[in-house]
Amino acid sequence: MISADVRFGGFDGPSWARLLSLFQPARTEGEDLLVVFRPAHTHEGAAEAGERVIVSALLRGAGRYPALIGKPLPPLRELAAQLGVRRILALEVGAMEELAERVGAAVDVTDDYLTQVLTVLRVAGELRSEGRIRPWPDPLRGVPLPSPAAVRRVLDLVLPDDRAAIVGLWERSGERRLWTAFVCRRRGGAIDLVAGPDVVHRTAGPLGGDWRRDYRVLVDAVERTVAPVHLGVFTEAETLARLLREGTAGAWAREVAVRNVVLRPAPPPVLAALGADALRGVGKASAKALGGIDFGRLALGLGRAARARFLEGRSVSEILGFDPMLALAAFLGRPPNEGEDPPDE
Amino acid sequence: MTGDERIRLEGVHLNVGRKRIALRSAAMHYWRHAPETWATSLAAVRDLGLSMVETYIPWGVHENADGTFDFGATDPRKDLGRFLEEAEAAGLYVFVRPGPHINAELTYFGLPERVVRDPEVQARTPRGNAVTLYFPPRMFPVPSHASERYFDQVDAWFEALAPVLAPHVWPEGPVVLLQIDNELGYFFRNGPFCQDYHPDAVAQWHGYLEERHGSREAAGAAHGRRYGTWADAEPPTHFDLDALDPATTTESAIHRALCRQLDWARFQERLLAQALGRFGRGLARVGLDRLPTVHNLSLGDGGLPVSPPELEAHVDLVGFDYYHPAASDTRALSAIRRRTLYLAGTFGAGYAPELGVGAPPWFTPLTPEDSITAALAAMAYGLRGFNLYMGVDRDRWYGAPIDAQGRTRPVADEWRRVLEACASLGLAEATREAKVALLWPREYARLSRATHLLGLASPATMEAIGAEPTAACRPDSFGFADVIQWDWFDVLMRVAAALRAANVPYVFVDSEAPLARYASYDVLFAPCYEFANVPRLARLEAAAAAGTHVVMGPRKPMLDDRLMPLDSVALPAVVAVDPGTVQELVHEWIDRFDLARPYPALGVDTAVHRDAEGRDVALFLINEGPARQAEVRVPAGRAWSVARDVRTDETFEGDVLHVPMRAHQVRLFALEGPSAEPGTEGAS
Repeated sequence: MISADVRFGGFDGPSWARLLSLFQPARTEGEDLLVVFRPAHTHEGAAEAGERVIVSALLRGAGRYPALIGKPLPPLRELAAQLGVRRILALEVGAMEELAERVGAAVDVTDDYLTQVLTVLRVAGELRSEGRIRPWPDPLRGVPLPSPAAVRRVLDLVLPDDRAAIVGLWERSGERRLWTAFVCRRRGGAIDLVAGPDVVHRTAGPLGGDWRRDYRVLVDAVERTVAPVHLGVFTEAETLARLLREGTAGAWAREVAVRNVVLRPAPPPVLAALGADALRGVGKASAKALGGIDFGRLALGLGRAARARFLEGRSVSEILGFDPMLALAAFLGRPPNEGEDPPDE
Repeated sequence: MTGDERIRLEGVHLNVGRKRIALRSAAMHYWRHAPETWATSLAAVRDLGLSMVETYIPWGVHENADGTFDFGATDPRKDLGRFLEEAEAAGLYVFVRPGPHINAELTYFGLPERVVRDPEVQARTPRGNAVTLYFPPRMFPVPSHASERYFDQVDAWFEALAPVLAPHVWPEGPVVLLQIDNELGYFFRNGPFCQDYHPDAVAQWHGYLEERHGSREAAGAAHGRRYGTWADAEPPTHFDLDALDPATTTESAIHRALCRQLDWARFQERLLAQALGRFGRGLARVGLDRLPTVHNLSLGDGGLPVSPPELEAHVDLVGFDYYHPAASDTRALSAIRRRTLYLAGTFGAGYAPELGVGAPPWFTPLTPEDSITAALAAMAYGLRGFNLYMGVDRDRWYGAPIDAQGRTRPVADEWRRVLEACASLGLAEATREAKVALLWPREYARLSRATHLLGLASPATMEAIGAEPTAACRPDSFGFADVIQWDWFDVLMRVAAALRAANVPYVFVDSEAPLARYASYDVLFAPCYEFANVPRLARLEAAAAAGTHVVMGPRKPMLDDRLMPLDSVALPAVVAVDPGTVQELVHEWIDRFDLARPYPALGVDTAVHRDAEGRDVALFLINEGPARQAEVRVPAGRAWSVARDVRTDETFEGDVLHVPMRAHQVRLFALEGPSAEPGTEGAS
């Protein structure tokens, strides 16, 4: 799904840093703590010993945290509260070596990168299930790992071969310039091009300053230089940053309905997801909370979506086994103590 | 060959015949651009103020699927000869880096796919699995730096390359510098037991043990094992001292077991150095031995399984790569300080074969200001030469000052100013005087690597992400008074912090550097514990005999680094070091040796650089903290009147410079004009 010859270009430093900033998990106060522990075991002739901390270190320059060494490993939630750290990664001694061995045996050099990454995640998941790798908090706990085939089917729905997708993001204030852009193309079954705003700037000329009109210029530029556009997402940077973190039912549908987000073009599975999002929003909130939404437009989307689901068989979330936007929101922004976290032990 | 036709590396200068050029260049990857754009891009590199362009030469790109090579006959982008001619026509010298490993964000790091897929080439884990590198766009099994088959393949690559490259070596062409291989360090998979258990590596391990201990039997005795045949001398696959029962194990038995672990850590360094030598000899065999050679080490050098001084046996100059978010992260500036002071002390002058200008997309994001700040900070502490990587933007990169079509971006003007300042201030020749050296004790660094608990998240990785390379070492003391694998680094950093607080310039010198690099300081501090490397003790002794004030501590060595009883050595004074005495120690040095504390400042660090006549020519202000203003006291008898910021042209005068600063900012001032009248006050 990612070509071995994938090309990446068209970003300068600021435009790439801006794009990445959208996906940086929310900063919370406190340090990151690393703990290496010895597993529970029975020494010959000795009583059974529980898990013991061998070493602990604060990772952001503060160095070792020796107070824990030699002591039993407490539940990570308690430890975090006790020390005031924001994240903990607890590793059984030898877990990283085991990870390397299993990955070395499992990864196939002929597989594409996404398949390889899923293999590494599967192995890491095994070690997590065995209690040898324990992250806290663990916002992605419970998110099933999709198979490469499932991811490929999703990609087939969202970005077919020889088509491009574009995300264009504008400044909300100031000169209201194009803040950054992201273009990708699928060819030969795999993503073979990832490009930044230069792709647009090279061919589009100056933009007018109203992003709700300018997005068409971006689509034209990509169509001329890259491939026919199958999916376009256009909005202001702040709006997307909020939506990626919000994870609230109906949030995307609401923003699309009031044209704070423009999806143009939008393939049927995306509209289906949007329709499902709106329905979730209706189910969870009162009609009043969704007041002002153009339900007619949404209904149109839902109608298309229903046809698409009939044709395509299943939605993105059904194929993956989870809602990727909710999982992303959980990863990016959910505070660690919201009570929804399952206990780590 | 006459002297006029010889290329020699002198510090970070190249003497090309009678011409002397600074080691400053910018990178451009010819094969990633249409040949029609080469001339424009090369001219843009020259217009930055540089006299040299650097390029990798990618084996995996030039080799065809059938094993033949294309140097432009089929694909004009691969026409290396034409690129070198165009560089010469643009008035540029060329620095070439033919690998074999180059990374360059190429799939398989620039190696041919058939090579990385060859099981005989692949490095091995303890269980015999391939060692996988996780980088995009394809994970792949990394080659073994001991594999004879790999060396054979590399030789074939060099043989194919030589007929194309050799005719362009100076004086026939523009090529004046050669890098051998790239970022030695087991392809970032350098935890203590990640690799290499390839049969050829294990054979080398046996050879190493014989060389180190004298015989198989002696190696067995040193390890507390019986080696009936070399097959019995298996390399350690994990830290096996845990299996010893503390109730019944003697201290001697612990030390025997620890010796084996230390031997393995030392051997990992040796293996890489020998591989570099093999590659170098391969290049010499094909006629490329007229070129001075360099090698670059990656981020995380404090935890790498490499002894940089050992590499000097195989290349003329060793440098570090710099990719630091310096404008946004205090830890980045402190890492630059530590790394550059190590280069300055260990090699006499610092060189960066890759000074990151932009970055690959899967790396920590770097802004243009990050790159310039990193460059200025490194220059402040003694970086004298560098290669801007990248100069010309390209696939799988962002942020270069020249775009892929050869057009300059706005940040190019910033670089032009910095490079002009380097030239006009003579920074490549200037000196930052330091009379205090702190010894970087390689034997204890090895112990730290051997006791690291995180496997593939190695000490080098820990350091690269901003943690201490010793942070995840196990806490055992092995019968010594201290947890040495932690303590040496803490002690060294405490002394460095005390010197920094007192504004005393210092450097780090690797304990394996030659004596000449030890002996030129007034004060040499060497962390020392119950065991120590004998040659370094002998060098310390010689330095003390030559007049250097050598301070060792906190313990007196009783064992050598095989953990055998030490023959008597005339040891210099041993000083106990704890947080309280460190301050006293530094102030004693200041008083006793009248150590200079130039340009003291409130809130920021300063570094002053002098020309050959001893005149102050450049002043750096480095703000690692949140200070909003620097107050710099300048010497009364100064030979300059105005401090001019080379980037903004802002000027400051007077006995105290009040300089506005941003957090994580580095400012470089040219010290200009005739002497000021004494007593002038104020700032413009």
